[in-house]
Amino acid sequence: MADARRYFDEIELGEEYESPGRTVTEADIVMFAGLSGDYNVLHTDAEFMKQSIFGERIAHGLLCLAIQSGLFSRATAPYATLAFGGLRWKFKVPVKIGDTIRLKAKVTGKKDLSKPDRGLITVQRTVLNQRDEVVQQGETDLIVEKRP
Amino acid sequence: MTGTYFEDVVVDNIQVTPAITVTETHVALYLGMTREAPLGSGVVPDVLPLCLVIGLGWRVKDPPLVVLAFVGLDWRIVRELRVGDTVHSRSRILSKRPMRDGGLVVDERTVIDQHGEVVQQGKFTFLVAKRHKEVSA
Repeated sequence: MADARRYFDEIELGEEYESPGRTVTEADIVMFAGLSGDYNVLHTDAEFMKQSIFGERIAHGLLCLAIQSGLFSRATAPYATLAFGGLRWKFKVPVKIGDTIRLKAKVTGKKDLSKPDRGLITVQRTVLNQRDEVVQQGETDLIVEKRP
Repeated sequence: MTGTYFEDVVVDNIQVTPAITVTETHVALYLGMTREAPLGSGVVPDVLPLCLVIGLGWRVKDPPLVVLAFVGLDWRIVRELRVGDTVHSRSRILSKRPMRDGGLVVDERTVIDQHGEVVQQGKFTFLVAKRHKEVSA
């Protein structure tokens, strides 16, 4: 089978991608609380949150960060990623149950690394909700293989 | 509500969490929720340890920070984690800065495996509530 992964050489600076949308449900929040062990009242106590500035439970920031990571893989062919280097991230607007988020991504950095078989790709990512508000934004560094 | 309010946050305070073994179940649940592409047998997706760390952070002696919002994250993946590895986290308060409603607290978290090696590390910035003041919208 042909290798559908995209190597460092083939990824162009300025490339842009947009993912499909995904509705964040109560089930997502409950599952994520169970998976992560983060039972903060912000995410799990509907009655307490009625009295808060948000008026209802909000999704975990990291849940939406994880969801956008999945949306990225639905937005473009997979990179030949060797490792995830790190990320710089801002949580701007809370995501509530029933909100639909999508990802816009752009390649903003491409540089060689000391090992000749790989390079660093920086992707700027913007998570938007159904009202086109930026809910999260940041940059991720991916270490991507060069074509052998 | 019980918890550690902004006024009570102590810079340089260190807390160490219990450990958790990362299992196939964690990976399967995570991949099912996110639809991230699987990376091969036994590989732990890089964002998963970060998610576990935020939960581990609650399992310490001190009352948890009264977090109003998770503001930002600066995170570095140091080494790959495999299914079966056991991680815990250490947190250290780097700084605190008062704001009109609450204050910003920067918390450095380090994920450490069963060999004592650093797996992931970075900074969480939280907006933390002040004690004697109701926060208004």
